[in-house]
Amino acid sequence: MAGGIKAWQGLTAAGLPEAGMAFFTAAAGTDELIALAWLLEEGSRRFYSALAAMRAQPEVAGLFGTLAEAETNHKSSLLALYRDLTGKAPGPDFPRGLSAAQDADDRMEGSVRVSEALTWAGDKETADLLDLCMSLEADSYDLYIKMGRSVPGEKAKKVFEKLVAEEKAHLARMADMLDGLDLQGPDC
Amino acid sequence: MGIADYFQSVEAMTPEQVREFLDRHEPSEYNLVDVRQPSEYERMHLPGARLIPLPELADRMNELDTDKPTIAY
Repeated sequence: MAGGIKAWQGLTAAGLPEAGMAFFTAAAGTDELIALAWLLEEGSRRFYSALAAMRAQPEVAGLFGTLAEAETNHKSSLLALYRDLTGKAPGPDFPRGLSAAQDADDRMEGSVRVSEALTWAGDKETADLLDLCMSLEADSYDLYIKMGRSVPGEKAKKVFEKLVAEEKAHLARMADMLDGLDLQGPDC
Repeated sequence: MGIADYFQSVEAMTPEQVREFLDRHEPSEYNLVDVRQPSEYERMHLPGARLIPLPELADRMNELDTDKPTIAY
């Protein structure tokens, strides 16, 4: 790419190649990767659900509501994959039993704490929220590509390919909404 | 790699062309390689980019699928 990353004007991610997987003390096995992904999706679901409730504009609340539903679907896909690959249903302590992090319950995509993100989001305009969400989804997109490389078997890789494609679609939808907001002006 | 390969030009894509390519293709269809150092990658990288620092590239070429187009930066 001419100009290198300095010339890049698009979404970026941060963190070392193993970032996002550092919640697990041992080398991440497939079940741990799935548990991590499930945790992050659940955190994002709670975050988007809260944002949907906070926004008065129907189209914005609708977008966040749709994103929250998508995260629920992602969780279901991951649970189905867990059953397929391990041959057993997730235990009663799933996924927390697979994570050493004390605050695993409070994490979302981008490894951000849900509580901190919601506190920050309280008085922000929609454009700022979309900027944050796009940054978090870009990190998630990055993480799922890496997970897809790590998991064994075509079936597991297909699940992560599907998650990657959906994260990419979320990014496109948020970008479109952000472009639309730029045309309308600040929140009323 | 023969001596003639040293004279093969490598196509340079503009960042806009790269973005269009990445938008049109799924990550499984290409290799995206960051050849910088880990600290640079950690600060910022293109989503999905595989880190292979330049000094290691020759030894780690087997990590790339040579049947797929490769974009490096």
